Amino acid sequence: MTTLRIWKHFPREDLYECYQCARCTGSCPAMEVAPAIGPRETILKCLNLGHQDVVEDERLWLCCTCNVCEDRCPQKIPISDLLVALRNSAARRGNIPARLVLAVELLAKTGRSMIVHQLDEMRAHHGLAPLPPAPIEEIRELLSKTGFREVIEF
Amino acid sequence: MKEPESLTEKTSEHNDLRIGVYVCHCGKNIGGTVRCEEVAQFATALPGVMLAKDSLYTCSEPGQEQIKSDIREHRLNRVVVASCTPRLHEPTFRAACQSAGLNPYLLEMANIREHCSWVHLHEKDAATEKAKELVAMAVSRVARLMPQFEVTVPVARKSLVIGGGIAGIQAALDMADAGYKVYLVEKAGSIGGRMAQIDKTFPTMDCSICILAPKMSEVGRHPNIELLTLSQVQEISGHIGNFRVKVFKRARYVTDECTACGECIDACPQLVPDEFEAGLSIRRAIHIPFAQAVPSKYHIDMHHCLNNQGIVACDRCFQACQKKCINFADRDQVLEFEVGTIVVATGVDVYDPTPLTELGYGKFPNVITTLEFERLINAGGPSGGELIRPSDRKRPRKVAFLQCIGSRSKRASPYCSNVCCMNTIKDALLIREHWPETEIYVFYIDIRAFGKGFEDLFQRARREGVNFIRGVPGEIIEDINTGDLRLLGENTLLGSHYRYTMDMVVLSVGIQPRKDSASLQRMLNLATDTDGFYMEAHPKLRPVDTTSGGVFLAGAAEGPKDIKDSVTQASAAASRANILMSKGEVTIPAITARIDRDKCTGCGLCARVCPYHAIEGGKELGYYRVVEAACQGCGVCVPECRFGAIDQTHFTDDQIVSQIDRVLANNPHDKILCFACNWCSYAGADFAGVSRMQYPPNVRIIRTMCSGRVSPAWIDRAFAGGIGAVLVSGCHPSDCHYNNANRETARRIERFWKRMERAGINKDRLRLAWVSAAEGAQFAKVISEMHEALARTPADKVHKEADKLREFLSKKSSSQ
Ligand SMILES: Cc1cc2nc3c(=O)[nH]c(=O)nc-3n(C[C@H](O)[C@H](O)[C@H](O)COP(=O)(O)OP(=O)(O)OC[C@H]3O[C@@H](n4cnc5c(N)ncnc54)[C@H](O)[C@@H]3O)c2cc1C
Ligand code: SF4
Ligand code: SF4
Ligand code: SF4
Ligand code: SF4
Repeated sequence: MTTLRIWKHFPREDLYECYQCARCTGSCPAMEVAPAIGPRETILKCLNLGHQDVVEDERLWLCCTCNVCEDRCPQKIPISDLLVALRNSAARRGNIPARLVLAVELLAKTGRSMIVHQLDEMRAHHGLAPLPPAPIEEIRELLSKTGFREVIEF
Repeated sequence: MKEPESLTEKTSEHNDLRIGVYVCHCGKNIGGTVRCEEVAQFATALPGVMLAKDSLYTCSEPGQEQIKSDIREHRLNRVVVASCTPRLHEPTFRAACQSAGLNPYLLEMANIREHCSWVHLHEKDAATEKAKELVAMAVSRVARLMPQFEVTVPVARKSLVIGGGIAGIQAALDMADAGYKVYLVEKAGSIGGRMAQIDKTFPTMDCSICILAPKMSEVGRHPNIELLTLSQVQEISGHIGNFRVKVFKRARYVTDECTACGECIDACPQLVPDEFEAGLSIRRAIHIPFAQAVPSKYHIDMHHCLNNQGIVACDRCFQACQKKCINFADRDQVLEFEVGTIVVATGVDVYDPTPLTELGYGKFPNVITTLEFERLINAGGPSGGELIRPSDRKRPRKVAFLQCIGSRSKRASPYCSNVCCMNTIKDALLIREHWPETEIYVFYIDIRAFGKGFEDLFQRARREGVNFIRGVPGEIIEDINTGDLRLLGENTLLGSHYRYTMDMVVLSVGIQPRKDSASLQRMLNLATDTDGFYMEAHPKLRPVDTTSGGVFLAGAAEGPKDIKDSVTQASAAASRANILMSKGEVTIPAITARIDRDKCTGCGLCARVCPYHAIEGGKELGYYRVVEAACQGCGVCVPECRFGAIDQTHFTDDQIVSQIDRVLANNPHDKILCFACNWCSYAGADFAGVSRMQYPPNVRIIRTMCSGRVSPAWIDRAFAGGIGAVLVSGCHPSDCHYNNANRETARRIERFWKRMERAGINKDRLRLAWVSAAEGAQFAKVISEMHEALARTPADKVHKEADKLREFLSKKSSSQ
């Protein structure tokens, strides 16, 4: 199991300034529609229980990174940076939703994160040229360089 | 020990010196580490010393008697006491000298306890040698001290109070009742301030205007109070005891004969949003702020009047007024007068939540602030005290309060506003009392019910069914058809998401420093804290004084506070001012700066750095001079003069240089010379002693009032004389006791470092450190670090660099 290095990427001290007002969670659109863990609870858990607990929780992936929480946080806590750092760490430990793995695999194989042949038919119907081929090699290189291989095999 | 020649030479001419040296054992506090008899023995041989004695407790009655009888018997004309810090017993020994007929300024103390025995507990030899040198430094300095006579300046028995809120009213009444003339200057058309706007007051639920109005009318009729409304201070000059004030008084356009009958208002066609009603209703161009206003007179707001300063387009009020009180020829005036003391009571602004767009204030009519709410439920307010919501004038059935709006936030004010929790609880209870069927929800982060009677009120609100929900909504959404408001948020205690639909939302807004507070701050040389409120001279022990003599603070201008605290502070400020006025004079310590008119070229550099504008003069005059009553004795002006025209009384260049020379006399390359300011760093070093923090004994501390007194020429002299290292220490940047005079310290040291680089000297040998009075550990740490660095520097390197500097300096002086 890879060790957690999230405090290298995110200043832990920033979290201590959170006074649990819940303005972030109250603003969170993901919370409106799904049982996400809100940013407030995420921070509290990181502080009181350690981030281990959070990193193993699959609800972490329900956040849509809209950044509204951070916009409204009265303490200017960089919440989205925290969530990205946590998810990086989660992914390395294998906590990553299957649909995301699929999307990355597709991206590596076809250069696109979704299946597009239906799209081609539609384009033809409207008299549009088919999509140009994706630069698969370049994309694969980018994926390797950004470290995706450590998380997902492709 | 061999006496350095220069020193013997210099003092031998003072062969009329008769110095007495007293070395105190302080029980075992000093005597347990320092061999006091040996130190006294050593002192006997110092130039000018007549006698040197050691005693068990010099500060005791017998100890003091000894000094007094020696002064009389041996005609001593200078005294050195080597004991604890002068911050403790200097006044004691000064008084002893004075009672024996010796000028108190002819005493010098050597701090061999806090700065020696306590910090070198286990190094008896080193501590004894250090004590000897500290005594020798004190003897050098005392030989150069001069008798000083403290001047007294008269204090005019009149006071200026700026701001007529509850704090200003209380301060004015207290001083006027004590028999002093008070000018009360109020910007608005009436006194009363915020308290006049609120409906009831927590925690007692008194009717605010009912308890305020009697005080307001007392101000209006008090024979000692001159009330100036629609007025603002334009200029203040002078100093403690004698301030010259210019007040700009706007025209009222209504004469004093106005009986407030109100016949004019119906005639006036001009409608304007009413600022007293927080914009919830309208008033006319001719108006009175509120029914109980003092002075109880109408005035015309010329910005909105159609008459336009007598270029007539309308004179309906003039026609309507039977007593003919309308005077369009009235003009703004500038009044000038003199006062001895000033009380600043300008109060606070209220946070405007418009920037928090997610809450919809200003967009959704049913989102209002607590200040608007106060007017809404006030019987004298726009709705006649009926609880209605703005959009449809219906009674709201569900009301929400949102706490900490604009407070405790890096996006607005970082501090807690102190009154909004209790204010909300009060408002919730008021609704409960009059409209019990209303549902009330308070969304909070923490409820701060810290004062007397506060927790009681909080519990009462809970018992009466007010819902307290922990977690402030993230967003408010308005239903455009009904005007109802949907609140989205999280109940953090349940850990669940909520949606509430409310009829009305009240934002519990925080309080903030006045937007225009900077202008008074400049006029009066006040400091502000990081939150922007005016700063007290000391947060615990001088809570209503400012660093400007004769200027006091009252009320919320000093920081968020409720009515009770504002009144308490106002009475305290008045009492501080009364002390000055009843005595009728103040004594100024004889440590002020002096300018030698013959040497002064009128360049004005000194005047630019003086934090109190105490230096006046000009090129036209040909010289500058120090206004003694305004000078606070920081000494920051002295190093600024390139012509040696300024010196500071009792901290002269000659006196301090003699201390430096004494340090340089023996093995200077091993030593650290430290300049410490009286208020923070010297006290910090004292604190290291009190806490028995151990640090190396090779540091020698010289005290100045402010680090700004430290002259680069002294540092030159020390390095050229082969000192190992120099430390300049002062208060932290915003804590300076002389209005940030230590900015000059930083600037000068910065420049000195550059010069060291040019001269080819290792600039790490000069250090600048901010050490507060509480940072004994920091002081000990800095000294230890410097000691380590010095231990790594070979002596010959120090000497070589000293030669280099001497060369550099001589080149520089010959090129000039
Ligand atoms: C919504 C709200 C509700 C509150 N409810 C309560 C309560 O229930 N109980 C309680 O104890 N406290 C309450 N407070 C706090 C209370 O209002 C303050 O403690 C009190 O008003 C402070 O009095 P002050 O005289 O210092 O300042 P202010 O009341 O602000 O008065 C300052 C005065 O100075 C004048 N002024 C300002 N600048 C100048 C200038 N440059 N020149 C001349 N004049 C100037 C202003 O016009 C004003 O008249 C409440 C505050 C708010 C905002
Ligand atoms: S909005 Fe900011 S301070 Fe409030 S709970 Fe969320 S992270 Fe903490
Ligand atoms: S003169 Fe001015 S104040 Fe008087 S009625 Fe006309 S607009 Fe109103
Ligand atoms: S008094 Fe209460 S509402 Fe006001 S800032 Fe402090 S905690 Fe927040
Ligand atoms: S700078 Fe300091 S010492 Fe000099 S005149 Fe001003 S207050 Fe006095």
